[in-house]
Parts: sequence; structure tokens; C-alpha cells
Amino acid sequence: MLDYLVSIALTAGIYAIFALGLNLQWGYAGLLNFGHVAFMAMGAYVTVLLSMNGIPLLPAVLAGMILAGAAGAFLGMATLRLREDYLAIVTIGFSEILRFILLNWSSLTRGSFGLFGYPRPFQDLVGIRDYNLFLAGLVLAVLLLVYMLLETLARSPWGRVLKSIRDDEAVAISLGKNAFSYKVQALALGSAIAALSGSLLAFYLQYINPNNFQPIETFYAWIMVIMGGSGNNRGTILGALILWGFFSTTRFMEGYLSFSPTASSGARMVLIGLILIGMMMFRPQGLLGRKEELSIGK
Amino acid sequence: MANEVLSAISVCKGFGGILALDHCSIRVEEGDIVGLIGPNGAGKSTLFDVISGFLPPDAGSIVFSGREILGLPAYKIARLGLVRTFQIPRSLMRMTVLENMMLGAQGQAGERLYIPLIRRHKVMAQEKEIREKAEEILEFFDLRRMRDEYAGSLSGGQKKMLEMARALMADPRLLLLDEPFAGVNPALADRLIERIRILKEKGLSIIIIEHAIPYVLALSDELYVLNKGRVLASGRPDAVISDRRVFEAYLGEGA
Amino acid sequence: MEQLIANGIIYGCIIALAAIGLSLAYRILNFANFAHGEFLTLGAYFALFFAASLDLGFLFACILAIAATAAFGVALDRLAWRPMRSSGANRTAIMILSIGVSIAIRNALIIFFRPDALRFPLPVSQGINIGGMTVTSLQVEVVLIAIAAMLLVHALLSRSTLGKSMRALADNPDLARISGINVDRVIRCTWAVSMGLAALAGIMYGLITHLNPNMGWSIILPMFAAAILGGIGNAYGAMAGGIIIGISQEISTAFLPAEYKIAVSFLIMIAVLLFRPRGLMGGG
Repeated sequence: MLDYLVSIALTAGIYAIFALGLNLQWGYAGLLNFGHVAFMAMGAYVTVLLSMNGIPLLPAVLAGMILAGAAGAFLGMATLRLREDYLAIVTIGFSEILRFILLNWSSLTRGSFGLFGYPRPFQDLVGIRDYNLFLAGLVLAVLLLVYMLLETLARSPWGRVLKSIRDDEAVAISLGKNAFSYKVQALALGSAIAALSGSLLAFYLQYINPNNFQPIETFYAWIMVIMGGSGNNRGTILGALILWGFFSTTRFMEGYLSFSPTASSGARMVLIGLILIGMMMFRPQGLLGRKEELSIGK
Repeated sequence: MANEVLSAISVCKGFGGILALDHCSIRVEEGDIVGLIGPNGAGKSTLFDVISGFLPPDAGSIVFSGREILGLPAYKIARLGLVRTFQIPRSLMRMTVLENMMLGAQGQAGERLYIPLIRRHKVMAQEKEIREKAEEILEFFDLRRMRDEYAGSLSGGQKKMLEMARALMADPRLLLLDEPFAGVNPALADRLIERIRILKEKGLSIIIIEHAIPYVLALSDELYVLNKGRVLASGRPDAVISDRRVFEAYLGEGA
Repeated sequence: MEQLIANGIIYGCIIALAAIGLSLAYRILNFANFAHGEFLTLGAYFALFFAASLDLGFLFACILAIAATAAFGVALDRLAWRPMRSSGANRTAIMILSIGVSIAIRNALIIFFRPDALRFPLPVSQGINIGGMTVTSLQVEVVLIAIAAMLLVHALLSRSTLGKSMRALADNPDLARISGINVDRVIRCTWAVSMGLAALAGIMYGLITHLNPNMGWSIILPMFAAAILGGIGNAYGAMAGGIIIGISQEISTAFLPAEYKIAVSFLIMIAVLLFRPRGLMGGG
């Protein structure tokens, strides 16, 4: 039972942090980041590579966050003066390119062979047996911290400007707000949060390889955010739990149905696609959202 | 002797061969209300877009408070105290009326990313001040009871009022009102005229674009008539409105 | 070097065909369609399916596949895009929906055809030597058919009533509606053309490489890069953009490991957005 709870805390928790970063960008600022997973990958790889080279973990994690934030800001600066589609195109491209680089720069990343045997926080103190329990606690603490940070920001004047840009950028500008700068900030901060979730994922998995960071991961985050009602941090966390539930039930059911592994994972992905389609068509405000706060729509 | 707040000189703006503004010049004296009328497509809203920095002009000069503002980004122009409203009210639908208002305030420390995290008390104190000011202005526009409603749920006329109220939150020196009376019912319109006069008495300068000529005449100190991107006539409202060319320009629109 | 340029032209023709469809859909329907790659894949698999199950010859299977993909596009419009349009959903919602469509189609193909690489049932094509470059007769055919398809698109856009209606709709939807253009019909035709071209591009891509359910998704980046380079929404720009992207990617392999060639289109895209966001040929 405890193992079960620990595994929920770890997977759902890490994905909740990941999705909270996207919720800041999409839910509060209306930015179409279709390459969120790239920033998670940057967090994981930078943290692991630096720590394997003797850099202590905390600075290694921070370095990943800063680098991901800078990458997000750069992509934003290249596209945010243009129509919103361009950010979507460029971020999705970036996430694919990054994965290609991780796969092919073998001298650094060992390609699809992956990286393992890297340090994890407090691994000597805690010991192997209870490590996941400890890490689950750490993940939940980080989740709480990120949640509180984002809630504080969302309720602050800064968050108010962000929401105004999401609703109508021209209004924000007409009231003296530098909309471009706010969008870049949201993109950078959300990407840094994704990087943080990437570092935690690396600690949990003990083994990373580029295929952990497929484009589909980005859209898991999208489903979590939209399901919970875009612009709602608690909803995003709920969305992460629901999606986690979906995966564990479908895996559980696979045991009883005699599908081949490819067919069943394919079927699960078709379902994911249909969920995304269905949500956009029938319930864009999410499960918790109110029509008035509908983030997608008119 | 009154000071000049705004002076736009020889502003030109073309859209693919059509000159929306053709050497258009306009001046606003401190504390004046300037009316801007003209048939559809005369270039009135384009002039607003250019003055407020939303559209770059092709040529001309725009001096606001003694400073050339041509080429400044729109948000910086707003910060200097030149605030516009939009023809079709652009409420932030998914924010409450009060949030809409509070957004308008200038110089908010909490709008910097890190300040709300490290100086909570300062931000909270400033928020309280801004909220009080917002409620005061909402009261002035009879919107206070709506403050917790989503702006998207207001009526067309109320949205117009909110738009103006929100602009006032920015403490403008010059306010550009784009058709403030559109969609406002006649009873409400009379009260709106009264309020705009009060604002003028407080020293605010205003340019009003309006189709309903009686309202413009009731308010304006100066009247400009635009036609095909040019200033057709300007001067004292009663003189301008009796100018035969003005009548013909409107007639031309009907034909 | 000549060999690389030749390869680039072949690959570029495929990207160009795909980018035309993407650009047309962007212009008329006003959103970036992230499912476009899957439409290529779908076309290729339709062709494979018809070639294997009907005894009609490969060419006929291809024509059938193009028609089937176009019909699928019209059906998808009825089922998804049109309800979204009429409910007044905005562009971003439709783009997210297109991601859902992409994921669903790609994985449905994985279920039916397994994720393995497949080949069209054709004999191996003989290489021929043209001025120091070795190309197969198949590759020459691919280029010729692509050029024919582009000429056909040109004729369609510039001469036909449909082309005029499409332009009118793209320039001013409200005006088009008032002036009596059947908007839904024009949109259906746009989908049919866009997806027919995608199917053709997919079949060609399958011919010169192989088929797998990821094939369309894997080249979505060069497709978008080509469309942006040509000025997104501009069909002729997309043709030119496709060829330029194709050639640049191939030439880059002379200096960089071949695995990185797709990064070249990303860099070109970023550079265009930074310095010439309306693309080399202007447009929307």
C-alpha cells in the first residue's frame, strides 16, 4: 500500500510540477508552448551531466533551470512579436531538435544508451530501501513550493498583467504594460519549472535517455492543464492525478486483455488523442472550470 | 495662455496604396475637449492608433507634453499619460470589473516578477490603495455594485463605461475616447456627458471620436472634421458644423 | 556536391508538396495544422493498403489513396473542424485539437500496421547517371510528378473559380460570405486539395525511403520551415521554401553529421522569424 502511494506521489507529483509550468504559460499568459518537454529534458540532462562531473546537486539543478529558462526566453523573443502560432511551431521544433541532439551527441550524452549511475540527493544518508519514500516526500515538498510560488504570483499584480495579456493584449499595452516582456518572463519561468521537474524525474528514474522525452510528454501536460481548467493551479494538479489514474488503470487492464504491447500502447495513445479532441470540442473549460473563466473559446 | 498637450503634424499613413491619413494635423490645448468627427473611413480611428503608438505612421511628427513620441512603443506612450480606449469595448472578459480597474494603475511595484515574492507587505499596501481608487472611480461611473462580476457579463454600455473608468486609473493627461457613446442608451448618455465635463474641469484633456454629433457639440471646445484622411475643417464647433463642406462630406457618405 | 543537390531537390519536392497543403490550410482556415504530417502518413499507408489488397497496379492504388485521403479530410472537416468553427472556438483551440488528431491517427496506424518500417511492393529501381549524379528512375519520376502537381496547383489557384473563391475567403471572410461564396464548400475543397497533396507527398516519401507510422510527424519541422520561409499562407512561397529547405538540409551533410540535417531547417526557420518574419516572398 505504501509503495503504491509512493509511486503516485512520485509520478503524479513530478508531472504536476511539469504541468504547472505549462499552466503558467498557457493558463495565465495564453502562450502556446508545444515543446514543453524540451525544457524538462534540459533540466534532467544538465543536472545529471553536471553532477556526474562533480558539481554538487543543488547548483546542478539550478543550472538546468537557468539554462531552460534562457532557452524559453530566447524562443519567445524570436516569435512572440508574431502571431501565436509561431511560438507553437518553433517550440515543437525545438523539442524535436533537442531530442535529436541528445540522441546523436553520443560523446556527451551516450545517445540512446542513456545515462545512469549518477548521484541522487542524499542517497548516502537515506539508503536504497527507503529512497523512493524520501524522494516522494521531496517531490511533494517541491510541488507545494512551486504551487505556492505560482499562486502568489497569480494573485499578484504581476499575475494580473499576465491574465490581461491572455484576455486581450492590446488592452494591456494601452494601459502601459510591456506585454512582450511579460510573455517572455512567463515563458522563461514556466520553462525553468519544467527543468526542475526534469531533474526530479532523473532522480526518480536513475536512468535517463532521450526517449524519455518524446513530444507526447508535452501533450500529457496539456491534457492535465486543460482538464483541470486552464489557469487553475489546483486543477492542474488534479489533472495530473487523473491522467496518472488513466495510465495505471489502462496498464492494469492490459493484464487481462491479450493485446500485444504495441497494440495496447497504441490504443492508449489513440485514446489520449481522442481525449484531447473531445476536451477541445465539448469541454474546453475543463472539469473544474467555469464558462466565464473559459480560457479557450471566444 | 493654455499649454499645448498634443500636436500631431502632417501625419501620413497608407494601407496598400490607400492613404488612410493624408498629412493630417491636430492640436490639443491643455484642459480642452477636442471632438473628431467625419464619415466612416475618414481615418479617425487610424489617427488614434497612430497617436497612441499602435500603428507606426509613414510620416509626420507627434509631440506630446513637449516630447516627440513618434516611434515609441505603445506601452511607453501610455506610461507618459496618453491613454486610449477602443471603439469596440475591449473588456478583459475573464477578469472581474475590479481586476480590470486595478490593472490600469501605473507604477505598480508588484508588477515586477520578484517583488510580490520578497516584498509582500509593500505590494499589499499598494494594492489596498489601488483598490480604493478603483472603487472611487467605479462609483463615479455607477459601476461599483458590479465590481465582482466578470467584465464579460456587463452590458455593452457598461463595458464602454468600464473602458473609460479603467483608462482613468492610469491618471492620463490626455485621454483618447473612441466612440464613448456607442451602445450607451440616451438616459445614460446624458450622465456620461456630465461626467466627461467633470473630468475636464479637473484638468484632463480629451479627444473624442463620436458619430452622434449632438454629444460632440455639447462637449467639444474644438472640433475637427476628417474626410478621406485629411482635416476638412477645424475650429469652434458651431462654426465648423455649419460649414457647407462638412455637410457635403457626410452627404457623400450617404450617396 | 552535385549529388547532394540532386538529393536535396528530390527531398525538397516532397517537402514542397506537403508545405503547399499546410500553407493553403493556414491561409484559408487560419490555423497551423499540426496533424498535417499524419495526413502524409495516411496517404502512404492508404496506397500500401490498396496496392496490397486490390489487384489494380501501383499507380491506380496511389490515385485511389490520394482520393481516399482527400475524402478523409472532408469527413474530418464535418466531424471536427466544422463544429469547432461554428461554435466560434478560436485558433488556439483548433490548433490543440489538431494535435489530438495527429496523436490519434499516428497511433491508430501503429495498431493496424505495427510500428515497423514497410516498403511499397515495387521492384528495385535502376540507377541512372546524369552528369555525374546517380539517381534512380523512380527519383526522376518523383520529381516530375511533383512538378506536375505544382503546376496543377498553380492552375487551380490562378484560373479556376475555386481558386478565386479561396483567395476571396482568405482575404476577407466576411466579405466572401456576403458576396455569396459557399464558404463551407470552399473550405471542404481546401481540405481536399491540401490533403490530396499531403497524400501525394507521403506516397513519394514512402517511395524514396520507407513507410512507418512516424514518417509524417518526423518531417513536420521541415514542412513548417518551408511554409514559413515562403511566407506562411503563400502557396508559391511554400514551393520555393520546400526546395530551399531540401537542398540546404542535404548540403549540410557535407559539413555536419547527417543526423543533424533536420536541425538545419530549424535554424533556417528561427533565422527567418528573427530577420524576415513574413518570409522570403512576403504574404500573410
